[in-house]
Amino acid sequence: MKRNGSPAYDVAIVGAGIAGMESALTLGDMGFRVLLVEKEPSVGGKMILLSKVFPTLDCASCISTPKMAAVAHHPMVDLLTWSEVEDVRKEDGGFVLRVRKKSRFVDEKSCTGCGDCEKACPVPIPDRFNFDLAAHRAVHIPFPQAVPKKAVLIREGTSPCIFECPAGVKAHGYIALIRAGKYEEAFRLHMEDAPLPGVLSRACYAPCEGECSRKELEGPLRIRMLKRFMVDRYYESHPEPEEEGPEKRREERVAVVGSGPAGLTAAYYLAREGFQVTIFEAREKAGGMLRYGIPPYRLPREVLERDLKNITSLGVSIRTGERVESLTQLKESFDAVFLAAGAWEPVRPGIEGEGMDGVVDAMTFLPRVFEGKFPRLNGGKVVVIGGGNVAIDSARTALRYGAGKVEILYRRGREEMPAHDWEVDAALVEGVSLVEWRAPARFIGKGNRVVGVEAVKMEPGPPDESGRRRPVPVPGSEEVIPADLVILAIGLKPSTSPFAGEIEVNPDGTVRVDPTTMETSMPGVFAGGDAVTGPSMIIQAVAQGRKAAFFIAQRLIEGKVDPAKWREFLPPPERGKIPGLGENGRGRPDRVPPVAVREIPTEKRVLSMDEVEEPLTEDEAVGEASRCLDCAVCSLCGECSRVCPSGAIDYSMRDSAETYHVKSLVLSTGFRLFDPSLKEQYGFGKYPNVITSMQMDRLLAPTRPSPGVVRPSDGKAPENIAFILCAGSRDRTVSNPFCSRVCCMYSVKQAQLLLGALPLAEVTVYYMDIRAFGKGYEEFFQQAKGMGISFVRGRVAKVEEGPDGNLIVVYEDTEGTGRVVRAEHDLVVLSVGILPDLSIAGVPGVREIERDELLFVREKSEVVNPGATNLEGVFVAGTASGPRDIPDTVLHAGAVSAQVGAYLLRRKEVRS
Amino acid sequence: MEGKVGVFICHCGGNISDYVDVEKVKEAISGLPGVVVSTTTMFACSDAAQQEIIDSIEDEGLDGIVVASCSPKLHLHTFRGVAARAGLNPYRYVHVNIREQCSWAHRKDRDAATEKAVALIRAGVARALRSESLERFRVETRPSVLVVGAGISGLRSALALSEMGLSVTIVEREEEPGGFFRKVRNAYPGGLDGREVVDSLLSEVAARENITLFTGAQVVEKKGTVGDFQVKIRVSDGSTVTLLVGAVLLATGFEPYEPAPGEFGFGHPRVVRLPEFLELLDGGRGMSLLKDGDTVAFIYCVGSRGTKGCEEARPGDYCSRYCCGAAVHTACRLAEVFPGVSQYHLFRDMRTYGKLEALYEEASREGAVFLRFPGDSPPAVVPDGERLLVRSKDTLLGGEEVEIAADLVVLVTGMVPRENSGLVEVFKVPVGRDGFFNEVHPKLRPVETVIDGVFIVGAGQGPKTAQEAVASALAGSAKCASLLLKGYVELEPFVAEVDRDLCEWCGECEKVCPYGAIRQVHCEGKEVAEIVPALCKGGGSCVPACPKGAIDLAGFRDSQIRAMIDALAGGGA
Repeated sequence: MKRNGSPAYDVAIVGAGIAGMESALTLGDMGFRVLLVEKEPSVGGKMILLSKVFPTLDCASCISTPKMAAVAHHPMVDLLTWSEVEDVRKEDGGFVLRVRKKSRFVDEKSCTGCGDCEKACPVPIPDRFNFDLAAHRAVHIPFPQAVPKKAVLIREGTSPCIFECPAGVKAHGYIALIRAGKYEEAFRLHMEDAPLPGVLSRACYAPCEGECSRKELEGPLRIRMLKRFMVDRYYESHPEPEEEGPEKRREERVAVVGSGPAGLTAAYYLAREGFQVTIFEAREKAGGMLRYGIPPYRLPREVLERDLKNITSLGVSIRTGERVESLTQLKESFDAVFLAAGAWEPVRPGIEGEGMDGVVDAMTFLPRVFEGKFPRLNGGKVVVIGGGNVAIDSARTALRYGAGKVEILYRRGREEMPAHDWEVDAALVEGVSLVEWRAPARFIGKGNRVVGVEAVKMEPGPPDESGRRRPVPVPGSEEVIPADLVILAIGLKPSTSPFAGEIEVNPDGTVRVDPTTMETSMPGVFAGGDAVTGPSMIIQAVAQGRKAAFFIAQRLIEGKVDPAKWREFLPPPERGKIPGLGENGRGRPDRVPPVAVREIPTEKRVLSMDEVEEPLTEDEAVGEASRCLDCAVCSLCGECSRVCPSGAIDYSMRDSAETYHVKSLVLSTGFRLFDPSLKEQYGFGKYPNVITSMQMDRLLAPTRPSPGVVRPSDGKAPENIAFILCAGSRDRTVSNPFCSRVCCMYSVKQAQLLLGALPLAEVTVYYMDIRAFGKGYEEFFQQAKGMGISFVRGRVAKVEEGPDGNLIVVYEDTEGTGRVVRAEHDLVVLSVGILPDLSIAGVPGVREIERDELLFVREKSEVVNPGATNLEGVFVAGTASGPRDIPDTVLHAGAVSAQVGAYLLRRKEVRS
Repeated sequence: MEGKVGVFICHCGGNISDYVDVEKVKEAISGLPGVVVSTTTMFACSDAAQQEIIDSIEDEGLDGIVVASCSPKLHLHTFRGVAARAGLNPYRYVHVNIREQCSWAHRKDRDAATEKAVALIRAGVARALRSESLERFRVETRPSVLVVGAGISGLRSALALSEMGLSVTIVEREEEPGGFFRKVRNAYPGGLDGREVVDSLLSEVAARENITLFTGAQVVEKKGTVGDFQVKIRVSDGSTVTLLVGAVLLATGFEPYEPAPGEFGFGHPRVVRLPEFLELLDGGRGMSLLKDGDTVAFIYCVGSRGTKGCEEARPGDYCSRYCCGAAVHTACRLAEVFPGVSQYHLFRDMRTYGKLEALYEEASREGAVFLRFPGDSPPAVVPDGERLLVRSKDTLLGGEEVEIAADLVVLVTGMVPRENSGLVEVFKVPVGRDGFFNEVHPKLRPVETVIDGVFIVGAGQGPKTAQEAVASALAGSAKCASLLLKGYVELEPFVAEVDRDLCEWCGECEKVCPYGAIRQVHCEGKEVAEIVPALCKGGGSCVPACPKGAIDLAGFRDSQIRAMIDALAGGGA
C-alpha cells in the first residue's frame, strides 16, 4: 500500500535486536503491516553475538537465528537494514518517517554472501561484531549468521590522498595493496587513472603527500617513493607491457597534438577504448616536457621509455617531427582532436643584452644538454635568472654539466620562490648559490659575448592585485655579477599561437575550454595540459588528458558530451572519523616516523646525471605502506570488485532517503555497553589482559575470533580468571547509580562456560551482591558455586599490572579478614553495565520522547501501561527503556505488541 | 526406495562439531542409496544456510530432506518453513537431533558420538525416503479467550484482549476480584495505590461489553483443541457454565510464603510477614504497634533461596525476586511514617536490580542499617520478655555475631505458587520443580505452554513484580491475539487412518483414545471405526490396540518406523 506515493505501514519498529524482532513478528502475526528499520547491516542486535544464554545455556545463535530468518521472510514485515531514521514528523494522527538508506556499495540482490570480497580486501579494520578482538576487512559480511547475509563495504568518503590528486590516482588503493604484498595489482590499479606511473613515481610533486593525514602525527607517508617501489618492481619483471589492445576496435580516428603527459594519457585511454589514435609530435622524440624539461637525475630516461611503451603497445602511433599548424586541416582526416601542445614559449625579460651569445632560455639549454648537444661548461660561471622549478632544474643541470659556480638570481625572497622547497634545498646542498632580492637590469658583454649581469637590489613594494607585495628596485644598488653563461628561466607560455584563429584562446595564450569536458570552442576539438593551464604539474596534465579522453570517447560514441557522467568522488572523511585522529584518539597508531629516503652522496651526484634518490627496499616499502591510517576505510583498490563473482560491488552507490507513513512507532533501539576506560582504575585499554565481558562472551561463542579462550597479550590460555562485577554500574563516580541487571548473571554464565572450556582454570567472581533474581537464576548461581567457582564479596578498588602481563586485583575482603587483599590473576574480565543506545535520540520527533535520568526512554506508566511513552502512538520495547535480561526483554516486547495492536484497533474503531 | 534425499549436517558452530566428526558423518551418509546431497553447514538455521537448502531442493529436485542438528523443539518449524519456501511439502523433511542425542550426550567419546550420529541420520534418511506429503488441517478459531484469575495480570490481559476485539471471560476463584496487588496500598516504585490501580481496571472491565467476569468460580473441565476449546466452569451458585473459547490464559498469581510455626519466631504476636506489616503501616494501624524509640528488624529471604528458619521450614530454592525491592521500599515508608524508629535489615544479597537500586540507596540514607547474613547460617529470633532478640552473623564484620533487641520482627517472605492442582489437572499444563507453571522456553516462547492455546502469564509462571506481571500479561495477550485474529489455526496432519476393508468394528480403538476422536459409523454394509481429524492428536494408542492392524498413523506409519529401525540396526536406508 502506498500513501501519497510513499509506502504506508501500521507500525514502524526501529531497531531489530531481540526486542524489535519479537515485536515485529508478533505484530506481523496479528496481521499488521510492519516496517522494521535497523541501523546495522544485519538484524539480531547484541544477542546474536553472545555465546550462550543464562540460565538454560542455550546457544544465543540457536535462539536468535530463527527469529532473524523469520523477520526477513515474514509476509507482513518489511525489513530495512543499514538504514537510519533521520526524522519523525507527526501527521494526520500518524507519523512520517524519513529513513536514510546507507549505501552498502554492494548490490544486495546480486550478492551471494560468498565472502570472496573480504578475502581480497587489503584494508583491515577492527571487527566491532567481535568487539575489536579481531579484525575484519573494509568489505565484509558482518558475522556468519548475519541476516541478510550480504557484504557491506565501509566507506567514510574518499581518502584525502585520492581526493587531492587532480587525476584521482588511487594512492590509498595502491598503498593498501603494497601493504598486502600485492605489488602487481597495485601497478594495475595505477594504470586505471594514469598511464605514466614511472614518470610520476619520479617527478610528481605528489600533492597526495601534502594531504596525508599522517602528517598530523609524524609526517606524511612517502607516497611517491611507494609508487616508485611498485613501478620499479613491476618494470623489472615486465620489460614489455602485458596489456593487450582492446577487444573491440573502433573505426573512429583521433589525433593528439603533442606527446607530453596530457597527450600520452589521452592517447592511452582512447586506445584502450578501441579508437585509432595518432600522436603528432613536433620534436624529434616523444615525451614533451618529460623528455626535454625534466633532468635525468630526477627522471631516468629508461623509466620514461618504459612508460611510453604502455601507450605505444596499444597501437598508438607517434609521428615525431611533425608539427601541426592547423586544427581545421587535422579535423579533415580525424574524427576528433586533442590539443596538448604544452607551454614551451619562453618569457623574455626584455632588457638590454638579452640577445647576446651566452644568454640562453632554459628551454633551449635543458634539451640540448640532455641530448649532449650543448657545449660542456668546463668550469665556467653560470647565472640562472628565475625562481621556479625550471630555474632550479637549470642550475642543478648546469652544475652537473661542468659549471664551476652556479648562482640563481631571484627578485624576491626564498620563501616566495615558486620552486618546491625540497628542490631548492637540493640545489643549495649541491653547491648552487641563491641570490635573493636581485633582478637583472641588463646583460653586459664583451662584444657579443656575455660576461656579466648588471643586477639591481629589490625590496618589497606595495601589494599588487593578488595581494603579494611587488618587488621594486632599490635605486643606486646596481652591481655587476660576472657570468660566462646566463640561463633565463622566468616563465613559459602556451604554444598555441598557430591555432589562435581557429579556436578561442585567452590573452595569456591558454586555450579556452569547457572546464568540465575539456572541449574547445570547436566541436570535436578538445584541449588539455599546459596549453590550457599554463605551466603546471605533470599530474595536472595527466588529469586533463584522462578527462578529455573520457569526453572524446563520449562525443564519438554517443554524439554528445554529458558532464554528469564524469566520475564523482565522495568528499574526504571528517577529521574526527579518521582512525587515530579522532577526539578520543581511539585507535591511535604507534609512532613511526616516515621512512628515510637514501640519496647518492652529494659529491658523487653532481658529477653525473644519475638518479639522486635510491629506491626503497621491500621491507621499507611494506613498512611505510603500513603507516597508512586508511582514512576513508575503503581504499578504492578495486580488488573486491575484481573478484566478486556476481559483479555486486558498486562504488557509485549513494545514500538515499525514503519517507514512510506509519500509524505507530516502536523504539527498540537497545543498549550500549558502558565504556570501561572511564573507570580508569581498572586499567582497560592500558593493560591488554583486562577485557570486557562482551569480549569474553565473544571468546566463548561458537563463532569466536580465536580458536579458544586466550588472553590478548600472549595468546595463552588463561589459568586464573577474575570477573569484576558492577564495572560502571551502581557507581556514582561514573554517573550510573543504577544496577544494570544482567551483569551478575552473565558473569555467572561465563564463569560456568569457562570451566567447560578450560577445565583446569580457576575462576573468581568479585561482587557486591549476586542478583540472581529471575526464574531459575538462583539455582544457576548455586550450581556455579557447586562447580567450584569462587565468589568473593568486595568491590575491587583497582587493578595493577604485574609480571608477565598478569594482573593484581586489589580489593577489601569484606567477608573474610576485612583487610585489603592483592590477588594475582592472569586475565581480568570487567562485567560492564548497560546504558541506552542514543544513536537516534537527537532525531527530530524522537527528541521529544521523555527519558529518565540515565536517558532511557521513560514509560508513562510502568505498572499498567508498559511500553507507552509520553507521545501517543509511540512505544518503547526492550532495553531502550531500561536494563533488562533477554526473557524480560522478550516479555516486554510482547507486551508492547499488545499495546500497539490495541492502539491500532482502537484507532480504527474511532475512525470508522 | 525411489526418491532423492538431501542431508544437511549442522556444526552448530562447534556445539556438534566439537564432539562429532561431522565430516566423517557426511562421508558415511553420502554413499547411502537415495542420498544425492550430503553436506555440512556451520549453522543450518542461519538465513544463508536456509537459502542453501532451498537452492539444493530446487537444483537437485529433492523429494525429501534430512536436517541433522539440534532438538526439533528449537527448529522444527524453521525447517518446515524452509521446505515450504522451496516448494517441498514440509512433511517430507525429517529432523534428526545429533546435538542433545550425540554431541552433548557423549562428550567424552567422539568416535561413539560420531557413530551414533551416522546411525540416527541413516534412520532419518530411511524415513525421509518413505515420507509422504501431508496437509495441515485448518480449524476455525473462536474470537474469545478464557482468563483464569482476576488479579492485576488477568484484568490487564482481559482489557488488552478486549481492545483487540476478542471477547473475554474472566474466572476468579475468590469472591473478591483484584488479587494480591489490590491489597498493596503503597507499591514501589512511585508509591502507587494498588487498590486504586486495580479498581480502575475493574471499572474498565465492567464498562466493556465483551468482558464477562465470574467470581467465586472454578474451571472444572476442558475439552477441544486450540482455537476451539469447550471449558466448563462451576459458578458461585453451584451451577456449571460451558464456555466456547479459542484460547486460555492462566493468570493465577502467587501466595505469600507462610512460614512454619516458629520459623524466625513466626507465631509470636510481634513477628509479622511483610504483607501484613505493609497493611499495618499503610492502613495506619501500625500507629498502635510502634512508637518512637522502637526497633524493627527485617529478615530477608524467608521462604526463598533455601533459607531455613527452622527444621520444619520448607522454603523454595528459588529467589522470589520482588522481596528485596519491597523490603527497601518498606524501609523508606517506615522512616517516613516513624522517623523515630530504628530499623535493621538482615539480608543475604541485596537484589534491588535495575532502578530499584535507588530505593536501596534511599533506605540507607534514611538510616536503615543493613547486615548481611550467610545463607547457611540464618539469624535466630528469640523472645525476650516484651521484645525479641535477633541474633545474626554479620559477614561484613568478619562473621561477628550481633544481637538486636527488636520490638517487631518483619519476615520478608517470598512468593509461592498458588495451590492449582485442579487447574493443572484440567489443562494438563506442566509445572516446574519450583511449583510454578512452566513455559515452553524462557526466551523463545515465554508465555506459551506445551498445550497449544493455553498461555501462562503473571506470577503464576514465576515470581514477578506487579509491573513485570503486567508485561507478561500483555505479552500473553499479544500471543492470544496473533493466534486468534487470523481466524483459523492449522493443526498437525498426524492423524490416524482406518482401513475400512480390514476394520470389523470391535471398539478397542475407541476405548483407548484419550481424545474421543474415534466413532463408530456404518459404511458399505458394516460397522467400522472413523477418525475425527480435528480431535485426533496423533497419539497413536489406537494403532496397536486394533486386533486387525487396520489403523495406521500418517507421518508415523509402521512401514516408516520399521525402515528406521532397520536403518538404525545397521541396514541400508
